[in-house]
This record gives sequence, C-alpha cells and structure tokens, in this order.
Amino acid sequence: MTDKNSATAESNANARRARRDALCAIAAVFMLGAPGLPAHAADAIKVGVLLPLSGNFAANGQQTLTGIKMYFDSIHNEVAGHKIDLIVEDTQGKPDVAVTKARKEVERDGAQVLSGIVLSSEALAVNDYSRQAEVPLVLSGDAGVDEITMPGPLANPYLVRVSQNGRTVAAAAAEWAYKTKGWRKVAVLGSDYAGGVNVNYAFAQTFCMLGGKVIQEEWPPLNSLDYGPYLTTLDRSAEALVTFTPGADGLRLGQQYAQFGLKGKMPVLDIYAGIAYEPNLGQLGDAALGVYSSLFYTPMLKTPENEAFVAEFKKRMGSLPANEGPNGWAGAHAIADAVKAVNGDLKDKLKFMAALKAVKFASPKGEIVLDKYGQVIQTMYIREVEKVDGQLANVPIASYPHVDQFWPFTEAEYASYKYSWKEMKGSLTDCGKLLAKK
Amino acid sequence: MIWVIHILNGVAFGMLLFLLAAGLSLIYGLMKILNLTHGSFYLVGGYIGLSVMRLTGSFALALVVAAIAIAVIGAAIERFFLRRFHLDELPQTLLTFGFLFIFADLSLWIWGGDPIMLTMPQIFQRSVPMGYFSYPIYRLFLIVVGLIIASALWWFQEHTRLGTMLRAGVDDAEIARALGINVSLLFTLIYATGAALAAVGGVLAGPVLSLYPGADFDTLILAFVVVIVGGLGSLRGALAGALLVGLLDDFGKAFFPEFALFTVFVPMAFILVVRPTGLFGRR
Repeated sequence: MTDKNSATAESNANARRARRDALCAIAAVFMLGAPGLPAHAADAIKVGVLLPLSGNFAANGQQTLTGIKMYFDSIHNEVAGHKIDLIVEDTQGKPDVAVTKARKEVERDGAQVLSGIVLSSEALAVNDYSRQAEVPLVLSGDAGVDEITMPGPLANPYLVRVSQNGRTVAAAAAEWAYKTKGWRKVAVLGSDYAGGVNVNYAFAQTFCMLGGKVIQEEWPPLNSLDYGPYLTTLDRSAEALVTFTPGADGLRLGQQYAQFGLKGKMPVLDIYAGIAYEPNLGQLGDAALGVYSSLFYTPMLKTPENEAFVAEFKKRMGSLPANEGPNGWAGAHAIADAVKAVNGDLKDKLKFMAALKAVKFASPKGEIVLDKYGQVIQTMYIREVEKVDGQLANVPIASYPHVDQFWPFTEAEYASYKYSWKEMKGSLTDCGKLLAKK
Repeated sequence: MIWVIHILNGVAFGMLLFLLAAGLSLIYGLMKILNLTHGSFYLVGGYIGLSVMRLTGSFALALVVAAIAIAVIGAAIERFFLRRFHLDELPQTLLTFGFLFIFADLSLWIWGGDPIMLTMPQIFQRSVPMGYFSYPIYRLFLIVVGLIIASALWWFQEHTRLGTMLRAGVDDAEIARALGINVSLLFTLIYATGAALAAVGGVLAGPVLSLYPGADFDTLILAFVVVIVGGLGSLRGALAGALLVGLLDDFGKAFFPEFALFTVFVPMAFILVVRPTGLFGRR
C-alpha cells in the first residue's frame, strides 16, 4: 500500500516535471522568437505607433496610420542603412491603455521612438511617460492640447509635434473673419469638452484683440443628437456662426443648419472643419456648399507633394484624405530625417531630439519646420466648400504661412494674458476678461 | 413660432425614442430581460438600411429589410442564448451586454468608423418656412410615422389574440402557460418584434441623427431613461415617457443650456422619487 502510494506520488511528480519542462521549452521558444528573427534586426530602428484603431476614433487612427505607412513605404522602410520596424498598437482612445501600450512597445519590443496619438488625453498621459522614461515622442495625430508644447509644467524635452495645436487654427479663422470678411459680431458654438473650449477661446481672444466681439456662446454636449434647440436660439444679429464640432456632431450640425433655414442667412465659419470634414461632404451634399472652414490642410492644394500624396492615399483608402493622413506622413518624415541626421544612432536621445527639432521638408500640408519647443510651424488655410468637377471640395481661398504656436501673438504677449482657456467657458463674450493682463 | 418649432422638435425626437423604448419595455414586461443589445439592434438596423439604400436607393425597402433582418437576428439570440438563462437576470443582462460589444465591433469592421448620414427620400428633403427659421419636413414625417406605429402597437395589444396572450404573459407567464398559451413562441415573437422596432428606429433616425460607432450606447441610455420615466413593461408608459423626454430635452437645451448634459436625467431622478415605478409602471 505504502509502496504503491509512493510510486504513484513519484510518477505524479515525474509527470509534473515533464509538464513543467515542456512549458519551459515552449516559453523559451517564444522568448527567443522575438529577437531571433531577421539577422539585421539588431540595428533596425524601432518605431512604436500608438493610435486608436478601435472605438469611436478608429477612423482618425486608421487615416493617421495610412499616412505613416505611406511615407515609410516611399523610402522602402529604410533610412541610412537601417531598417524601420513599425510596432503598431491600438490605444482604444483611452489614456490608460495608451500608456500601457507605450510601456509595452518601449520596454518589451524595444521601441526607440514613439509616434501617433489622436486624443489630447492620451497625449498628456504618454507625454508624462515619455518625459519620465526619456523616450522620444513624435506627436503626429490629432492631439491638439496647447500647453504640451509651451513652457510650463507639461514641457517635455523628449517631445515634438508635427500635427498642429488647438489654438492656431482658431486664430487664423479669427484673423480671416475680421480682416477679410469684415465681421465684427459673431456667435460661437462649440462642443462642450476641453478641446472645444480651448479652440473657441483662442478664436474669441484673437477676435477681441483685433477689435471684434463674440456676442453669444453656445455649448452643446459632445454627441448632441439634435442641434434644433441651439440653432433656433441663435442671436440673429450675429454676422456669422463660428463652430467647432468634431466627429458625428459636425455632420449633424451641417445638415440641421441647412434644414432649419439658416443657410444663406448666417454664414458658417467651421474651425477644424468638423462640418466640412472630407468624409462628410458627399453626405451633406448642397447643404455644405459655401461653408467656410479653417485648417492647416486641404486635399485641393496644388503642390507636387500634395498631388502625389492624394493620388497614393486614394489608391490605398479609396477616399480623399482629410488632415490625419498628411499629419501621419509628416511625423514619419520627421523621424526618418532625424534618424539620418544622427546616422541611425539613437543612444544620445537629446542629440536625436535636436535633430528632430531641426528638420525642414516639404509636406502635403506645405513646408514643415519646428520651433525651439518642438511645435510645428506651418501654413493655415481658409477653405470654402465649392463644386469642383461635380464633386464638393474644400477649395483654399486664403492662406497664412509660417504660423507658429503663439501666432498672431509673440510668445511674451501670449504669456502676459491673465486667464487661460480653462477659466473662460461662459466668458467668451467678455473681451475685457479675455484680454486682461497679468 | 419658436415655440411651435420647439414643440415639433421635441415630439419628433420623442417619436424616435418611442420606437426604441417600446421594444425595450415590451421585452422587459414579458420576459424580465434588461435587453442591453437593444442599442445594437438600433445601430445595426440603421447600417443594414444604409447598405440596402446604397444597393437599391429605396428608403422604404431599407426600412423593411432592416426590420426583417434584425427580427431574425433577434429571434436567434432569444432562441439560442437568452432562453438558457430564463428569469436569471444577471447572466441575461451580461449576455446582452456582451452582444452589444460584439455588434459594435462587427459594425466598425463592416461599415467603418466615419459618421454616416442616411439619405432621406427626395420628397422629404425640403423645409417649410416658419418665421425666421424653417422646419424640415422629414421631422414632420417622423411624427406621423411614430403616431402610426404607436396606434398599430396599441391596437395589436388590445384587440388581437396575440395581444391578449401577450398581456396574459406579462401578468403571469406561468399561469398563461398552464392555460395553454405557447409562451415560448410568444417570447421569441416579442423579442423579435422589439428588435425590429429598434431597427426601424435606426433607419428612421439615420437621416437626422446619423450612424456612428457609439450610437448604440448613446441611444440605449436615452431609451432606458424613457422606460424608467414611463414605467417598465407598459406601452402607454413608453409613449408618454418618450414624448416627455423628447420635449424636456429640447426645451431644456434651448432655455437652460448650462444644464444640457442632464436636462433628461434630473426629471428622471425627480420622477423616480415621486413614483418609483415610473409614470405608468405597475407595482
């Protein structure tokens, strides 16, 4: 009995050991698998891409990714003899997931530079990680939070942004509204979240500085299904309606604005083109005709870089690019140029960052250079929806070249204002407060 | 004039909410299932309508095909999944929650992430002038359709044999079964009908509210508010709740824009305090 028991115990132990050995073997195969792949992978440049590829912002993520891949494919995924390895992760539009994926890409996959990022909340979270872990971060998605590239508590020596920031697109809109259109009194309508307040504040501040005035502000929540209540309470003495409504909100607002009979009575100036977003145009049809919008890009630009980009993008995605594709493309270009400048040696990270900040190239958006904080300086366009060859398109009607992140203010002027956008929701009609100095 | 516009607007939105809430309420009343998949029925129904419209250009056909397709999907979900957990609320709710995610990802995969607005039939693409503003005819059409469907449902519940069985089933499923009513078939039928109503709602809402990833969650929440306000399990409650929520939402946003985020939720909380079972709910 005892013998038999001990024999059973021993055979159990053997079986366990055998299982454990098998598991170890399997684990070993997996662990060796990754670094053991191609022979030249040791000196490949690993780029960790962080984009929302599922959830509400999947379309933005997908378009940015297409832009990134288009550039790297155009240089055959090779820079200065180093292969470029893209490690793409889905952030699901959630800041905590974005940081987890950033860690994974850097600490497990060996990513040497991070790029992409669509939401400002994700950008803030990853910015923190990048600063702490000293990993270069090239923002090339929609994330537009202003302060991340300004001197202050968020400043990060390991960050550059080639996409945009929230305020400049709005500032260009204000300049055009005041100087070209001669509008003096406008109503603003913005989606009620940090981005909306940031952007509409920038418009109101610049507009006040020029001499105009916002006479009414409306803040529909994000994902407002019905704009009827907002449109019918608009102050009719406003010379124009200035809007910032991203995503499906822009589509609904554009349609309902026309349906409620405001088209032809009150022009729309659409900051960031939430209404005049390229995928919306065909759906809005004639309702979109005549909508003015402000952005740093339009697929209608007649430059060789842009025409080649649009043709290739159409081939890959079957549709016209909006702003995300060119942003992704510019981010990839900046990384490649900086890698070339340091000869593929990314160990000295600050040297690599200096190379990133020194890039200068022609992009589909226009010429790209960065300021000393790593924020892009680029051209802003005012566009108008017109019919071109039977198709609705955002035709550029004005442009403001070389717009830096503080434009039209100087850095010192901008820093001298007392209130930041965070304190100004509900006070955009108050020019005195908008322009109050410290 | 502004008042007329606000009232029409609130009623039109209420009618869309009614289509969602009616199914949700019937399903809960009969089967005690808190059907979270209802949001998916709305969104996927809308997307199926979109595909039909792209193929044929017919809005009417889009409505019919979407309703039938979603009814079949709904029936299958009830037969093969929900049935296993009869009266077992937690597994049922979790199951319908799981389906909500599955359908959300499937739709993203099939129809993409860009917001899409369904094209409305040509004859509704105009607006009637109303003072400074004008009012879209399509929304008037929504009000008419909503009223027709509400009357049809009421007639079905009060004056048909199936409706009588439904009422019996809602009152006491076990006794109804003992009386020889095929409760099992009734469950499938009602679940499928509720799903089809949501799909019709999705197609009808498509030209106004647009279809986008996340529309399933957004509308589901509103539909729940409606049934909570109106009382779970009651058709009359669903209609009253839908109209009330539609109007409150519109007037609240127009006149108290600072409270836009909870124009709907504050009245709901208030009604729950005064009448915990909702306006027409049973105790």
